Amino acid sequence: MRRGSRREFLTTAAAIGAPLLVSPRAARGSEANSRLTLGVIGCGGRGTWIADLFQKHGGYEIRAAADYFPDRVDEFGGKFQVAPQRRYTGLQGYRRLLESDVDAVVIESPPWFHPGQARDAVAAGKHVYLAKPVAVDVPGCRTVEESGHKAAEKQKCFLVDFQTRTDPFYREAVKRAQYGDIGRIVCGEATYFCGPTWGDQAKWLAEKPDDPEMRLKAWGLDRALSGDVITEQNIHALDVATWVLDAAPLHAVGSGGRKARTAGTCWDHFSVSFTFPQDVLVTFCSKQLGDGWDDICCRMYGTEGTLDSHYFGEVSIRGRQPYRGGKIPGLYQDGAIANIATFHDRITRGDFSNPTVAASVRSNLTAILGRTAAWRSARVSWEEMMSANEALEADLTGLRS
Amino acid sequence: MTRRLPLAVVVIVAAPALPAYGPALDTPASGDAVVNSVGMRMVRMPAGSFPMGSLPGTPMRQEEEFPRRVTLTRAFRIASTEVTQRQWLALMPSNRSPRQGDDLPVTSVSWKEAQEFCLKVSQKEGAAYRLPTEAEWEYACRAGADSPVGAAEIGAVAWYADNSEETTHPVRQKRPNAWGLHDMLGNVAEWTLDAYGPYPRVEEDKDPKGPAAGSTRVVRGGAWRSFPPALRCAARTGTPEAHQLPHVGLRVVQEIEEHDSIVGNR
Repeated sequence: MRRGSRREFLTTAAAIGAPLLVSPRAARGSEANSRLTLGVIGCGGRGTWIADLFQKHGGYEIRAAADYFPDRVDEFGGKFQVAPQRRYTGLQGYRRLLESDVDAVVIESPPWFHPGQARDAVAAGKHVYLAKPVAVDVPGCRTVEESGHKAAEKQKCFLVDFQTRTDPFYREAVKRAQYGDIGRIVCGEATYFCGPTWGDQAKWLAEKPDDPEMRLKAWGLDRALSGDVITEQNIHALDVATWVLDAAPLHAVGSGGRKARTAGTCWDHFSVSFTFPQDVLVTFCSKQLGDGWDDICCRMYGTEGTLDSHYFGEVSIRGRQPYRGGKIPGLYQDGAIANIATFHDRITRGDFSNPTVAASVRSNLTAILGRTAAWRSARVSWEEMMSANEALEADLTGLRS
Repeated sequence: MTRRLPLAVVVIVAAPALPAYGPALDTPASGDAVVNSVGMRMVRMPAGSFPMGSLPGTPMRQEEEFPRRVTLTRAFRIASTEVTQRQWLALMPSNRSPRQGDDLPVTSVSWKEAQEFCLKVSQKEGAAYRLPTEAEWEYACRAGADSPVGAAEIGAVAWYADNSEETTHPVRQKRPNAWGLHDMLGNVAEWTLDAYGPYPRVEEDKDPKGPAAGSTRVVRGGAWRSFPPALRCAARTGTPEAHQLPHVGLRVVQEIEEHDSIVGNR
């Protein structure tokens, strides 16, 4: 088939989970009727923010917390009434959390740590709620994919927290495009434009540029810890593109750089052209600098219509078969709330098919392909990227274990 | 583990965990079909039960495909192919299909025109012809199967975005399903009788007919321009009934008088 191996990759991965649905009774006895106990790994800004949403859901009890930094985990522990003996610090603190009796873990650490922490959590028999991106490199993506399968085998839920995929307007528009409502899809664009984003981290890093702990604290500016902007942030736009096309790119050519950013190692703008199966071209552009324009957009142009989607705005189809669509005002939060509810629902219902994993790995690899092409300023194929299996090495020297 | 969830939550979430149901024991035999005066080969579908929608974990599942066990209490006949342009022109004045040919499926017809065609077939045949309900369509499409057609097989049964060369193809060129029906997936998507709306959140349902009112109708089956997520027996979409689309046609069913007993399931 002309769409080739990219589609099979996803289908096969998804199918593995299919037979693993079990009855609620078999799910885990008491879990079906009880509050789930949680351990939160990563107690910084998003970790604290999302823990509050978990608590407000009502079906969770936050029982343990881990973060490298003692002051953060203590502040978090105080806010969510986590007993002092269940607060863990250092790089290996999460392992002690995994030895505790929590049912599930929420991983909100810097992305470089995600694959290892998720793998260890599944090995420890925990359900996993994982922030995007799932990984910063190809080996990490493979680890996460494997962890999703292992979780399914062990009847554990593994959910990746992408917000757009919970949005009914996105879902309907994507479904219609896949049915053929915009005709043959010829080309598309995925863009992510925002301001500097990591102002505090830049300040911390400027104060102590050689301090390893400050480098960790300013992870959003470190290309290995974050995966760089295209992987860490821009993945939202690329995820929608791979979702609509139901495929991964065959190759990419790109470039980018840093012209406004002074702190850290990440770039501040990218430009990539992806070629998807059937020669569908998707141009990608992003910036994380300046003022005046913020938008996360994915637009697909077909012979009979256009799918237009904005993370912070409207989702619609224009053309011969228009779809009025609409807008969820606070998708950033509402999407997380929906995923938190889904995570609880799947665990209590015994649905361990883990459908978010394969799709998330595919869009993560797509972002990595774009980054690789941009960093090299060259054309890179999917096969080349996968066989190179290149790992990003984070510099953790000087950090406490 | 300190507090019990409200009972309502447990009841609601229990619904999707339906057991897989096989085909009715009384499956269509190869000779169990008649050809009507318009040239439609009508295959008898037995009464029976099937899992309508998708269980969580099914590849490419959409949330709206909330699963329930549906029982069809009456047998019916369904055409083994989509309505061809020859069949259409035997009863209708014009053919707007962008690609024209006697054995090509008719397209670019509105839901009301599809209804009108069914009425004319009924008058000619002296029998009750109509569009299939959404449940009848899915039952016939599944032909006893629980899982979607795999990626490796889809090209053998369907004309779709990857193999259609951007157009319709003569009917009956792809492999039929287990009950002898061609092009249920791909080639052209098909109008159904039902208005489009969310499925009822029930575990079991009998002879469902969709929402009572609505001008958006369910279209099923995917088409020559669709991607694999649309090429599933459980996939559904809604289209305003006035639309005349180059990838949407129809297939007819015939009501039959005999009352089949519910023969149970494997």
